Parts: sequence; C-alpha cells; structure tokens
Amino acid sequence: MSPTPPSGRAPGARRPAGLRPLRVATALLLGAVALTGCDAREIYEASLSWGLPEPISEQGQNIYDLYLGSNAAAVVVGVFVLALILFATFRYRKRSDELPRQVRYNLPVEVLYTVVPFVIIAVLFYYTVLSQNYVNELTPEEELDGAVASGEVVNIGVVGFQWNWEFNYTDEDVRVIGETGRFAQLVVPTDTTIRFTNSSPDVIHSFWVPAMLFKRDVIPGRANTYEIVFNKTGEYIGRCAELCGEKHAFMNFSLKVVTPDEYRSYIDGLQADPNAAILTAPAGSSS
Amino acid sequence: MKVEAVLFAFFAVFLVPASIVYWVFSGDWTGTACLVMSILLAMMVAYYLWFTARRMEARPEDRPDAEISEGAGEVGFFAPHSWWPIALAASFTVTIVGLVIGPFLALIGFGLVVYTTLGLLFEYYVGMNRSQGHTLGQLRAMGEKPTSMHKFLGE
Amino acid sequence: MTLLSNPTTPAGFRRPRTPAGSQVVKVLTTTDHKTIGLLYLVTSFFFFLAAGLMAMIMRAELAQPGLQVVSAEQYNQLFTMHGTVMMFLFAPPAAYGFANFIMPLQIGAPDMSFPRLNAFSYWLYLFGGLTVMAGFLTPEGAASFGWFAYAPLNSIIHSPQLGADLWIIGLLGAGLGTILGAVNFITTIITLRAPGMTMFRMPIFTWNILVTSILVLFAFPVITGAFFALLADRHLGALVYDAQNGGPILWQHLFWFFGHPEVYIVALPFFGVISEIIPVFSRKPMFGYKGLVFATIAIGALSLTVWAHHMYPTGAVLLPFFAFLSFLIAVPTGVKFFNWIGTMWRGQVTYETPMVFAVGFLVTFLLGGLTGVLLASPPIDFHVSDTYFVVAHFHYVLFGTVVFAFFGGVYYWFPKLTGRFLDERLGKAHFWTVFIGFHTTFLVQHWLGNEGMPRRYADYAPTDGFTALNTISTLGAFVLGASTLPFIYNVIVSYRRGPVAQGDDPWGFGNSLEWATSCPPPRHNFVTLPRIRSERPAFDLHYPEAAGRVDMHASPEFGASPETETKG
Repeated sequence: MSPTPPSGRAPGARRPAGLRPLRVATALLLGAVALTGCDAREIYEASLSWGLPEPISEQGQNIYDLYLGSNAAAVVVGVFVLALILFATFRYRKRSDELPRQVRYNLPVEVLYTVVPFVIIAVLFYYTVLSQNYVNELTPEEELDGAVASGEVVNIGVVGFQWNWEFNYTDEDVRVIGETGRFAQLVVPTDTTIRFTNSSPDVIHSFWVPAMLFKRDVIPGRANTYEIVFNKTGEYIGRCAELCGEKHAFMNFSLKVVTPDEYRSYIDGLQADPNAAILTAPAGSSS
Repeated sequence: MKVEAVLFAFFAVFLVPASIVYWVFSGDWTGTACLVMSILLAMMVAYYLWFTARRMEARPEDRPDAEISEGAGEVGFFAPHSWWPIALAASFTVTIVGLVIGPFLALIGFGLVVYTTLGLLFEYYVGMNRSQGHTLGQLRAMGEKPTSMHKFLGE
Repeated sequence: MTLLSNPTTPAGFRRPRTPAGSQVVKVLTTTDHKTIGLLYLVTSFFFFLAAGLMAMIMRAELAQPGLQVVSAEQYNQLFTMHGTVMMFLFAPPAAYGFANFIMPLQIGAPDMSFPRLNAFSYWLYLFGGLTVMAGFLTPEGAASFGWFAYAPLNSIIHSPQLGADLWIIGLLGAGLGTILGAVNFITTIITLRAPGMTMFRMPIFTWNILVTSILVLFAFPVITGAFFALLADRHLGALVYDAQNGGPILWQHLFWFFGHPEVYIVALPFFGVISEIIPVFSRKPMFGYKGLVFATIAIGALSLTVWAHHMYPTGAVLLPFFAFLSFLIAVPTGVKFFNWIGTMWRGQVTYETPMVFAVGFLVTFLLGGLTGVLLASPPIDFHVSDTYFVVAHFHYVLFGTVVFAFFGGVYYWFPKLTGRFLDERLGKAHFWTVFIGFHTTFLVQHWLGNEGMPRRYADYAPTDGFTALNTISTLGAFVLGASTLPFIYNVIVSYRRGPVAQGDDPWGFGNSLEWATSCPPPRHNFVTLPRIRSERPAFDLHYPEAAGRVDMHASPEFGASPETETKG
C-alpha cells in the first residue's frame, strides 16, 4: 500500500464533504428568518406545535411549552438518526464483490450511543416532573374553605354519564344537565382557581377540553380532583375522551370562559331561574 | 445452562428494587402483587436451571469448543404425527364456550378434555405405537437409567 | 426419509400426486415445527386481512362527517375487533410462525422439544380466534368495548351481548396457546441447541424469541386471571370489578400489566427478524451483538414495570415512577437502532425486497419511537391520551415493526421455506404501496389528535375542522388495503413458478444455521451440521477465508477461555 499523505487521505480519493455546505445553509436560513421579521418564538411555535390548540389556561400553557420543547428535542434526534439511516442506505450501496471489513463491535461508539440517549431522557424527565407537579397541584385542604369564601377557588362537580354531562356549581347549589341532542355548557371565570371533581354513575368517561390541553378521567367509584386557572375568555368545545358505549362520540359539551363579573351574573341568573342553563344544540352532527 | 439461569435471575433481580420502590411510593396492591409474582416465577425457573446446571457436566451446547460429533446419537423422541392435539384443542374450546353457553356444554367439554388429555399422554405408551417411543421399561432394558431429561424429551 | 423422497423439493423432481384428503390429514395431525410454523403464518395473515378490512370500513366511515357506512354501535364493534384481531390473532401468531419455523433451524435442533404441544398450541389459537370472530355472527354483534375492555363497560349490564362473552373465552383459548408456545420455545432453546451453539452464539432472532417467551410467561397468566374474574363478574354475580371496590382501576392495572409487555411481545420477534435481514444484505456481521442482546433483555425487564403509562389520565397512578421507566425504555431501543445502522455502516448493501422492508421499518419505527418518548411524559399525555395522536403513535410502532418486518421476513425466508424466490419487482411494488399508503394514512393523524379528535369516535361534526385530514387518511388506508394484492399474487404465483433457490444459501451471505441446510430443509432439519465457532456458523462454513481474521471473532464469549477461540 502506498504511504498515506499527511492529510490522511490516499491520493486521488474524493475529498470528504466537510462542514462548509452546512455552515452556508445555516447562514442562509438564519438570514431568511431575520428578513421575514417574524420573531423566533412564533416560528418555534408554528413549526413544532403540530396542531396543538392555543392554551386557554395556565396549566395548559405549561403543558404547551413542555410539548414544544420535547417535540424540538424529538425532531432534532429524529432528523439526526434519519440522516444516519439515509446516509448509510445510499453511501454504502454495494460497489464491488469485496467482502467488507467484518467489524463486530466498537466499544467507545457503543458506550456513546447508550449514554447520550440516557442524558437526553434524563433532561426530559426533569422538565416532566416540574410540569407534572405544577399541573397536579391542589389547594391544601385546610385552606380550601377560606379560598372558596374569598372567591379564589370555585368548586365544579363534573358528572359524566351515558351519554351527556352534568355540571354542578357546588358552592352555589345550581347545576346544568345536558339532554339528548342538546349539550351542556359549563361557564367558568378567568383568573380563578377552578377546582374540578369528576365522578360517574355508570362507566368511565373522560372530561377533555382540547383547548385546556388537559383531560382527566371520570371514573365510577372514584372522585378525581384537579385545579385549572383559565386566562383566556371564549367558548371552547369539550369532548368525552374514554370509550363509554354507543354514543361515545356524541356527548360533546361546551366550555365558556368569562370574566369573574360575567360569571357572577350567570350564576345569579341560574339561581333565579334554573331553566336559564345554557344548553347548546349540537352543530351539524347526526345523533 | 448457567447463562439461561442468569437470564431468568436477572429479571428477578431487576424487579426486586422496582417492586419495593413501587410499593413504598404507591401502596398499590395490584401492581405490587403482579410484580412480586413475576419475581417468584423468575426465581423459580432460575433456581431450577442453576441447580440442574450444577449437577451436570457442561453440555456440548454450553462449550464453545464442542464438536458436532459430541451430539451424535439419540436426541430425543419427537412424535411424528398425532391426532390428539387438534382433538384436545377442540375439546378445550367446547369446554370454554360452554362456560358462556351453559353448564351442560361445559360438562360435556370437560369430559372430552379428560379423554383427549389421557389420549395424548398415553399415545406412545399403548397400542401399536408402544414401540415408537422410549418407554421407561425399554430404557431400563437397554441398561440406561431414565433421567428426568429422558422423560421430558422422550415422552 | 431422504431428500429424494421429499415431495416439495423443486428443480428436477416432479411433485408426486398425493390425494387431497391425505394432505388434509397430514396438516391436521402434523407435529412438524415447519408445517406448524407455516400454519401460524398463513392463519395469522388471514386474520390480518380480516382486521385490515375492518380498518378500511372504519376509515370509509370517517372520511366524511356523518354516519354513512355503519351505525355507531357497529363502528364500536369494528374498532374493538380490529384491535383485538391485530393484537391477539395476527401479531403474536405471526411471530410464533416465524419462531416455529426458523428458531429450531437456527439452533441446529431437529424439531421443537414438545412437538404435540406445539400442534396443540396452534389449534388452540385457531379455535380461540374463530370463537372471538364468531361474535360477528351473533344477533347483537361482536364485542364493542374496545380491545382493552375497560370495566365497567365490560360488565354484563353495559355489554350484555353474547359476542362479548365469546370475545373473552376465545382469547382465553388463544392465550393458553400462546403460553404453551412460549414454554415450548424456552425449553427448545435451553435443551436442543447443537454442540458449540453457546448462548452467545445464538442468532439475534433466537435471543429475541427467548426474551419474548419469557415475557409471555409473565404477562399472559395475568390477563388469563383477569378474564376469568371478568367471567365471574358477568355470569356468577361476582363483584371483582365493581365500581364500589375500585374495580375499574383494578381492571386497568391487570389489563395493562399484561398489555404493555404484550406490545413488546409482538415487537421483539420482529426486531429479531430485522436483525437477521440487515447483516445478510450488508454482508457484515451484526454490529454490537452483545450490546443488542443486553438491550433486548433490558427492554424485556423494563417492559414489566411501565404498564401504567397507559393510565396517566386516570389520576390513580404513581406518575414519576412510570414516567421515569417509560423514558428509560427508550434508551435500549435507541441502542438497537444504532446497532442496525452500524451493521449497514461500511457494508456492501444490496436492496432486495427483504432489505427494502428493513429500511422501511427503520424509518417508520423511528418516528413511532419518538412520539412514544413524548407520550411517556404525563403532562403531555394529559392532552394527547385517547386521541388520534396515540393512534398514530402505536400504528407507527406496531405496523412499522410487525407488518414491515413480517413482510420482510416472508420475502427473506420464502426461499428457505419453499425452495423458490418471490418475485423482486412485485416485491418492490408491494413495498412502495405499503410505505406510501401507511404514511399517508397515519402521519396526518398526529395533527388530528393534537387538534382535538379523540380516538374511537364513530363520527365528527363538519364544524370540527377534522374533515380534510380524515379524508387524506382514508385515501391512504385504501392504498394500504390495495397493497396486499401484489403480495398475495406474488405468493400464489411464486410458490409454483418462482425462480428456484439454488443450494443451501440462496441469498449468498446467510449467517445462521438455517442457511446450512437445503431449501426446504429435510423433515428433521439437518443431514449434517457444520462446526459452530461463532454467531455466524453458516457464513463461516461458506466463507472460511473470512473466519479467523483479527477483527472477526472480536469479543470473547462468556465461558470461553482465550485458548478456545478458534482459528477457523
């Protein structure tokens, strides 16, 4: 074999691609971004949210950010591994009948590709625990009565049954029940801790408002409690998210987030006239 | 056989701290029970394999320098064909369908299951097939001591 | 019995005419692992077609808002049975089909340890599976509570139909068959290996079958017990799953303690198939063999401890424990990816149909695995659980693994099984229709789930904004359905008229022992066995000049001393 030149390549071998094209591409991309005037955050959200609705609650915002960050990590890893797969697929196509070097192992590489994924998931786990603790936080029992009295916490009882919903405004002793063909609407105030308690008289359902980015199962024999603070007004669709029988797809409900004053007047209206509960007719579905 | 024993033991060894942590932090009886039963199952098999391996010389398949000729001779008895498996499967199916159709069917099925199980077990011990398998008497007549392996593999 | 009298040998020998009746008897009374393996493969493929048809009906229903094709109750039956058939009656039996046919060949055994038990396991599967499907023939229809059959929906009050009971007992039968099959595989691997075939010289496929079988022993008895308790609740007035006693959560724990290992039970054998294909078509040994074995064992062990990640939204489970272990299981899975890529690296890779399916698997499973890591996180799962995001995830991992590797394995081992190759052009056409159809169907479902479409919904409203993506998904589903046609045609035609496979090792670079015997093998598999000195005995036999070089037998094995490392 001829001696290898100082550059480490045999004479006449193709020059390896090097990093230069990659640097050029990155510069062009950043330049394009700067020119559009969009801020980085919007691009980040737009490219990684993959259909996620804009969150309407603080907990939802937390989950949204965790999703974006995790998705970013997943995309980076995915693009890297996909590039490896495609590179190996095309670069190492059979070129001759010579048997390739029958390499069986490479300990440093193997250690690397075990440790690096471990580090990645450790980071993901850390952020997950932070988010999880925040989202699952509940007002301590001793503080609860005071908080309700001062209006910081509103108790809502959610009952999912076959095949509609009942919403109990437990502090105010009024409630709203959906009927066949007419969905119930739940009205809640912003900037207040809404303390939901789920229960069911029959089978498992799941209380899900996609815009909340959160769901919690409604399980017979078990009261599930969770707290959400809404920060965006509007009307949002809610769905049952656990198979509960024939009309599982036909028990949507509606969540309306209003200002605390509007909430107060809604409750007063309900207490005066229980039939004033808002029941919405389902839009265009066939049940 | 030691490697196989270690394999099963690994499952047990991994599940022990997992079960302890799970029980302490969740107090969940269901998951803990399932994990503990898995540990016991793994330990049972690992124990059997380890102690069987201890009592025997390294078999040809456990030695990296073994020659194929060391495995020459009778490997075991492999039933060439049999009606009993499909019959037993059909009987079993009748029995469990009987669980939901009615007790009469389950009883009939149970009788069939007993009959076909016995048929399967004694297939190569009775009738025209008697000479095909190694009965214990034949083994003794050949001067061999029937070990549990013979019974396992041959019958 | 000699090779000459083997009626299925092609090339030069006219197949003697055996009466059809005796062929039927031969199948009904077979105890030959090769025949039973073939029975498993064919039967599981029929179930695959049935479940695929159900999927196409579901997708036809979902293409547009409104119930056009089936009623809501029928739709529920369809997804229940689709999931049940795929997860119980297609994937594990297909794995068992390959395991039955290939594993004894790979370890140099004449058959399985318990041939009649093997046959019994197959017939139990068939009869159990038919019982489950018989639900469709009852007046009230098949089970409709989802393949996880959550309590209290699975109770006699909420699901009174006979189809639900047939579902339970059919799965009891099929489950027992699976358990007995696992016992058989473990015993065979422990007791019937050829001399010199130490554990760390076994092919990766065989290792994966071993770990899978161990998982079956842990998981299936739990679901069997859970099913018996359910039968007691339904018919004997028991209150095991009664809501007052925390029954619903009890059922979920029991189901998922089985259910999570189940998904690895279906995945690991097919990882094994991929691990057989890639080295052969790269003309290199498996990269990082030991690491791959340890990763497989790690996946098996971890899979027993992550079950409640399916239960995050119940609010009833220890979130950090399951989140941590679910994240952790991504590590050995990632290791396997790098092993596969590393095998191709600096190889001489050719792209016959098996290898094309293997690369298709790598690309597809990558995406599915990554969405799995997202799902491991409880807060993220609170939004996407029970939505089409999860449906997309599990189809990526399951279809990507089981179906791509099933087809890859069929193309790869068809010459060994029948003595003929499947047609390459049809194979490539098959692959591309599967690949394009699959990604069209399932990629958009990630968006659908994130946007807010729950799973198991028979219908949605025009105002929901789900229509466009659903229509695209349905188009993809029909392409996917059509993709089975070139495959079926290929199998039928090639069985009789495909190019004949010459010699023992028609692909040319086979590593494991099945490539050291004829195509198809004789009744008890080997007329002679080559000396076994590495994890690639057939390769060492056919390429003796490549054995013994410095980087060849690289890692010393457990139990071997340096002196016993062979010089070839």
